[in-house]
Amino acid sequence: MRKLKKHKKICAVTAILSAVLLAAGLFFGPETAFAADGTSYVFDSYIYDDYRNVIESPAAFILERIIDSNSIPGASLNFGSCDDVCTSSDGRIFITDKKNSRVNVFDESGKFLKSIKTIWNKEGTIMLDPDGNQVILGAPEGCFVHEKNNELYVADTGNGRVLVLDLTDYTFIREITEPAGMTGLTLFKPSKIAVDEADRIFIVVQSSYEGIIELANDGSFIGYYGVNVPTVNYVEYFWKSIATDQQKSQMKKIFAPAFNNVAVDGEGFVMSVTYDSAASDMIFRLNSKGENVIRETGNTFLIGDILSNGNETSSQFVDIAVTDYGTYAVVDKARGRIFIYNFDGELLNAFGSLGNNKGQLKSPTGIAWLGNKLVVSDSMLGCVYILAPTAFGETMLRGSEEYYNGNWDEALVYFEKAVAFNSNYEVGYTGIGKNYLMKDDYETAIYYFKLGNNREYYSKAYYGHRGNKLRQYFFIVAGVMVLLIGLLVWSEVRYFKKTNKKPAKV
Amino acid sequence: MTGSSASEKLAKMPKPGTVREKLYYLKLSLFHPFEGFYDIRFRGKGSLVLAFIIIAVYGAVECAAYQYTGFIFNLNDIHEMNSISIFLSSTLIIGLFCLSNWTVTTLFNGKGNMRSIFTVTAYSMVPYVISRIVYVFLSNYVIEDEAMIVNMIVGVGVVWFVFLLVAGLCVAHEYGLFKNLAALVVTAIAAFIIIFVFVLFLTLEEKMFSFIVDVVKEFIRRQTL
Repeated sequence: MRKLKKHKKICAVTAILSAVLLAAGLFFGPETAFAADGTSYVFDSYIYDDYRNVIESPAAFILERIIDSNSIPGASLNFGSCDDVCTSSDGRIFITDKKNSRVNVFDESGKFLKSIKTIWNKEGTIMLDPDGNQVILGAPEGCFVHEKNNELYVADTGNGRVLVLDLTDYTFIREITEPAGMTGLTLFKPSKIAVDEADRIFIVVQSSYEGIIELANDGSFIGYYGVNVPTVNYVEYFWKSIATDQQKSQMKKIFAPAFNNVAVDGEGFVMSVTYDSAASDMIFRLNSKGENVIRETGNTFLIGDILSNGNETSSQFVDIAVTDYGTYAVVDKARGRIFIYNFDGELLNAFGSLGNNKGQLKSPTGIAWLGNKLVVSDSMLGCVYILAPTAFGETMLRGSEEYYNGNWDEALVYFEKAVAFNSNYEVGYTGIGKNYLMKDDYETAIYYFKLGNNREYYSKAYYGHRGNKLRQYFFIVAGVMVLLIGLLVWSEVRYFKKTNKKPAKV
Repeated sequence: MTGSSASEKLAKMPKPGTVREKLYYLKLSLFHPFEGFYDIRFRGKGSLVLAFIIIAVYGAVECAAYQYTGFIFNLNDIHEMNSISIFLSSTLIIGLFCLSNWTVTTLFNGKGNMRSIFTVTAYSMVPYVISRIVYVFLSNYVIEDEAMIVNMIVGVGVVWFVFLLVAGLCVAHEYGLFKNLAALVVTAIAAFIIIFVFVLFLTLEEKMFSFIVDVVKEFIRRQTL
């Protein structure tokens, strides 16, 4: 009898537990968002200190949700690959699937909205091209949301064209085919695409050494854009300089490295990345002349991981995502890392790894911001991760945002909070110091700049501090100066008298 | 000047054998290197003790510079500081220079002995050491834009040091300027060879040692079986 009672008790407990779990499952949506042990995947993250040591940092992002083939209801559709991801401000996520020639649309909560393959026109019939064929996507590799004109640009790589669709109902607006007068040798195979505020279209063709193709909004060719300088090997340079023309023609030619992805930042500058190891810059912010004007004031260059061993492959950035406040994330396919830099080029956080575990990447292809969340696509795993910022990540990003917008006092609050989370956060200390520098509180600023290892700003703060001290002790300083000058004059006079006392007898 | 002032000067000279005399000749060799180093080389006025003190001070100043150079100019990681290593690496390089210079000049008819080479080198270091001290002190009170001023002070120290060294070695070895400069270039090459031979010796010695250890081990095992 007692045994039975016990058994009943266990049954009841189990029932209650499973009910709670079920409720939790319903409440939190698809259970794919959580790892097997019920906790969310935490990304170990790190930064570099001023001496290029790896410093561990609290996790800035956690895995919130996975979008994969299971997220699409019905067995007829699935993900072949995920080659690019872009987001709209209302929270829609567009995932380009090259293998299945589709663009799949999801909402913020991972709910499947639509799969675009056959393009329809406004009248509700299938769009036909002038030859009478249906307009169907062919191995698209990139997409871009242009909110200003309510347009979705799809780089239809296989068909060598760009399709412009309506952002609301995904109907056909126009297509952009190979423009007349393109001077380069590379074929028009649009892979990645971005459109700036002036409606100019920037198209990346993979492994094209001419640069980014810049088109006017009507699809006419403006020119090649962007300067990607290869590094020069001095030994090779020497041999080339003494070689004859005939010898030179047999040597390996050095081409400008290709751009591999493109984005547009909040100020309308085109940002780009390359993973060609021959390139001297890896991340670009291009001005109207196509020169790289990215800020590199952090304690590391914008190269991702710092390698102690020269044989290791350096970070290979495949995509860049920029927020409105200039903070950008780049994703590295060599180690599956995501690096977050602020507008000044200071590394805020780096995390992620290659592997088969939930949350790890295998062959990352694209990254996009969804508010302060990150969306990362992986072609080999055929899934998209939505990463949500932790309390620390949120503080870190909000601090950068307020600082970028010039709200010093709000930024100070966030930086102080971030430093409380992570006492090795040099960017945070520097941020606090900058705030005090603005308020002319030099002594406090000096303290924080020293903690943040920022010598440039320390120097600025020290200049003010020294001026204050000199003013405070002006009479002492002036007195010492007068004394020194007096001593000098006195010694001269004494010397003069001494030599004149006994005139030289010749 | 007249004869009377020369005798006056002679009367002012410190007594031989005193510390004051040694310092007097240090000062003389700083401001009148040919005269001073001549007295040091040929009249035995140099002091080996003073030379060692200067080198020790130099090592100490280098240690202090690592830690106490102003924050703006100090790119060293204080947690990585190893004062023994800094001291030895800065002082031993002077020993290496003296050794290789002595080996080279012996081959090239140089008249200087090890003692005079070392004394000349150490005495020449004085302006450089002083400029380093001034640099470390001032670097705490200047900003980035004024870096040129403090760097110039060290620059003056370096130029002075090189001038003294060249002059001193010319006197010590009884060389002309160009022969001396050539000897200095060969000295640098000889220094590299010395380091190379030293490293080679260490590796070979280590291999030999491990060989002996192996033989002994083998021997012991055979005995026990």
